Amino acid sequence: MLGRTDEVLSVSGLTKRFSTANSVLTRMLSGKNRRHVVHAVEDVTFSIGRGSTLALVGESGCGKSTIARCITGILAPTSGTIDFMGVDMGQAHSGRALRAHRRHLQMIFQDPYASLNPRWRVGRIIAEPIVTHRLLESRAKVEARIEDLLLLVGLSAQDAMRYPHQFSGGQRQRISIARALASEPDFIVCDEPTSALDVSVQAQILNLMRRLQERLGLTYLLISHNLAVVAHMAERIGVMYLGRIVEIGEAGTVLASPLHPYTRMLLDTLPDLEMRRRHRPPLKGDVPSPLAPPTGCAYHPRCPLANVRCTHERPQPINTGGVVVACHAVAEGRASQAAMLRTPPS
Amino acid sequence: MADVDAKPERAASAWRDTELFHDFRRSPLAVVSLLIVVTLVAAALGADVVAPFNSNDPASANVIDARLPPGSIGTMGQRYLLGTDPQGRDMLSAIIYGLRISLLVGFGSVALAAFVGMVLGLLSGYCGGLLDALVMRIADVQLSFPTILIALMIDGITRTVMGREMHDAMALSVLILAIAATYWVQYARIIRGLVLVERTKEYVLAAKVTGVSPFRIIASHIRPNVTGPMLVIATINLALAIITEATLSFLGVGVPPTMPSLGMLVRIGNEYLFSGDWWISIFPGATLVLLSLSVNLFGDWLRDALNPKLSGT
Amino acid sequence: MKSLLSVRRLRVEIPTRSATLVVVDDVSFEVAEGEILGVVGESGAGKSMTGIAIIGLLDPPARIAAGEIIFAGRRLDNLDAEAMRTLRGRQIGAVFQDPLTSLNPLLTIGHQLVQTMTTHLDISQREARQGAAALLAEVGVPAAAERLAAYPHELSGGMRQRVVVALAFCCNPKFVIADEPTTALDVSIQAQVMEMLRRISREHGTAIMLITHDMGVIAELADRVAVMYAGRIIEIGPTRAVLKSPSHPYTRALMASIPIIDRRAASLLQIEGSMPRPDAIPSGCAFHPRCPSRLARCNHDRPELAPVDGSLAACWLNAATRT
Repeated sequence: MLGRTDEVLSVSGLTKRFSTANSVLTRMLSGKNRRHVVHAVEDVTFSIGRGSTLALVGESGCGKSTIARCITGILAPTSGTIDFMGVDMGQAHSGRALRAHRRHLQMIFQDPYASLNPRWRVGRIIAEPIVTHRLLESRAKVEARIEDLLLLVGLSAQDAMRYPHQFSGGQRQRISIARALASEPDFIVCDEPTSALDVSVQAQILNLMRRLQERLGLTYLLISHNLAVVAHMAERIGVMYLGRIVEIGEAGTVLASPLHPYTRMLLDTLPDLEMRRRHRPPLKGDVPSPLAPPTGCAYHPRCPLANVRCTHERPQPINTGGVVVACHAVAEGRASQAAMLRTPPS
Repeated sequence: MADVDAKPERAASAWRDTELFHDFRRSPLAVVSLLIVVTLVAAALGADVVAPFNSNDPASANVIDARLPPGSIGTMGQRYLLGTDPQGRDMLSAIIYGLRISLLVGFGSVALAAFVGMVLGLLSGYCGGLLDALVMRIADVQLSFPTILIALMIDGITRTVMGREMHDAMALSVLILAIAATYWVQYARIIRGLVLVERTKEYVLAAKVTGVSPFRIIASHIRPNVTGPMLVIATINLALAIITEATLSFLGVGVPPTMPSLGMLVRIGNEYLFSGDWWISIFPGATLVLLSLSVNLFGDWLRDALNPKLSGT
Repeated sequence: MKSLLSVRRLRVEIPTRSATLVVVDDVSFEVAEGEILGVVGESGAGKSMTGIAIIGLLDPPARIAAGEIIFAGRRLDNLDAEAMRTLRGRQIGAVFQDPLTSLNPLLTIGHQLVQTMTTHLDISQREARQGAAALLAEVGVPAAAERLAAYPHELSGGMRQRVVVALAFCCNPKFVIADEPTTALDVSIQAQVMEMLRRISREHGTAIMLITHDMGVIAELADRVAVMYAGRIIEIGPTRAVLKSPSHPYTRALMASIPIIDRRAASLLQIEGSMPRPDAIPSGCAFHPRCPSRLARCNHDRPELAPVDGSLAACWLNAATRT
């Protein structure tokens, strides 16, 4: 299936808010009316080119998982558009027509123990997308396809008869990948695909994902909190903080010369595995809660470069040399001083 | 959080190797109670063969032989092992046929309650919102009534609506309905709770992303994962249902007098208890106790045996 | 440095119906006073079991089948439950992974700290409260004195973990076991908590046995590190030496499979297969089926830890190259 443009996904102004109001009955009976709105995702814009990988990075509460669910149509956005290969996924709740379009889109999840139905055999799990979209006519063809997929992800044909509990975590992720590939999708959302795996297994899965991308021309949206994994997998990186993208650009550029103070902080917290004993500026502050976001720029309580303007005025995204960043310090040219404080690698 | 090694491969159907079977063999209580239940069920099923007389046939009741003590010989030379009742019915046969009714109503009402409870629990838990609120409030209201009262109410309503003859002909169905109406709530609540947990799991999300319809998700994905505890609830329910039917029959609002329910027999014998004809009440009563106790004990054992597996995954 | 904890040939078994599983196999190491020893390994390696065995919290049927655990001159493995309980809290503290379940949700954190301190130390309530407030400030909880009245659910994950650390250190123990102390935290908070752990350990002179699957945590915190595989220690030595120039093929492969930002490789090194389960441990060297450089003898001879370049490693390849 070819898209009209070279972009597989184009998200514009995506916003998702949750209401935590009590139910009608509780309000009537207890008189407590707690009306809080959680701004999970605010005004997010990005696009992904065919065959490439965009990574969204951030810590808990930044909204990356919510974006994944909006894109895959599990949640309906509050506002904004999600253009997936010509169709607005924001309307995905309504309409059988959209269901057919879903065959081009799939998702891999974080927890290998909860992402496979424990009562189903592996073969049935993998075949579900094929059966749901009625892609193959005969049973024999479906079984042949299941076997192909199992071999493609490094498992064996007999595994189709087994149950998930007979496999290790890494093998289960392979099964999830096989299921994701069953309907020959163009685009796969990967939500922390290796966070729950051991390091050596993580390497196997990441290598597999890259091989498959090259071979099948897949496009990935990779969601992760691990910058090293992201560096290994993505062409472009978007850094998220409390529901907004604070910096987005080409991976090499963002990692080598991070502009936003939060991006720099994330890079600073990477473990020093090569034992270089590099200098690290003092870190402070807690990850904020989306229920009580700070005023102005959400990062200002923890930012070494925050000034008065940061406390009441939210920074608008600006484009500097191909990287889009939302930061007053960068806009005012103050960020370059701080850049000198960070010891460059090697 | 990180990778855990897979459990050893085990053929899914070899239940003899399961922990459950080993626990069973080691527990004399479980074995004995199951044996008793199986024996009673077999006797009830084979009532036509096992019982010396056909209690459903009014001709088998010989009024001349009324109220004979256990072990007596009747006027036509038959031996009444457990004596006879005021109408001349052989107690042993009446008890065996009565067992049939108890088990029929018991199993029937439990099956109906389980089915209705499961469906409502699934829908309630998955859909949430107004449907969930509605079902749960009905359940709450129902729980505040004693079960006997609800059964009485339903029975009374059908009696008035249908008229006496039709009611008698459909007595068993009405009983099953009435008892099931009191027990569906437990199933619904437990299933709903489990559904609330399952529906946030990623395999359900994966199905949603794939575009599987909500009905299929509920029926094929969620249902198999939440119906486990139902077996345990059902065995405990069964004992209660049997006693409930007996109680209703004892009160006179259960089966019609032509059918020998165990509760009915106890009621009949109640009047004669203090004039010395003890066997008319005691034998059916003892059978009731034996049946419900065995079912209860087996259910208890089953719940304990399954529990560590349920929570230890 | 004096040796504080000495584990000698520890063996932990779990008898099951089909077989007896050996989850910790002939493990020996020392922890000196004030040093941080990291115990690293992937899931199923037996590192948590080792920690649980030392602290005396093994759940039956799991049991210590052989070996000795000597702490400050006393044997721990054969101590009765009452004596062990007194030792825990006073001499040995513990920090576990999940701060939510480590704290009693029904008691304020002040209450929990004070209760622990007055149980094990001979001080008054007032002194305990002052000590608790000081300790909270030390672990980096802002407005410590007011925070004593807070309940665990009122704090964020990172703050809760700091409280757990404070609880572990409140009786000034000589030794703390920390099992995945930062795994459940966000990365920016992880770094802060690790920094705090290092600082508090140095200031109080407390030794820490740090159990983790994350090499990054080892690199940041540990003075020495023991690498475990299938219930055995296969390499142990100073952190720098083990991480930069590992002497065991498993450690080498592990380090090479971790993605590092400044090292952009086309593909990560992957070790085929996975760690063996306790009921299917290969003969000889447990790693040999997956080892790219295995020799013939690795199949049937189990290697012991032998000195190599300042560390100890259990590998026949080192014996082959020596002399």
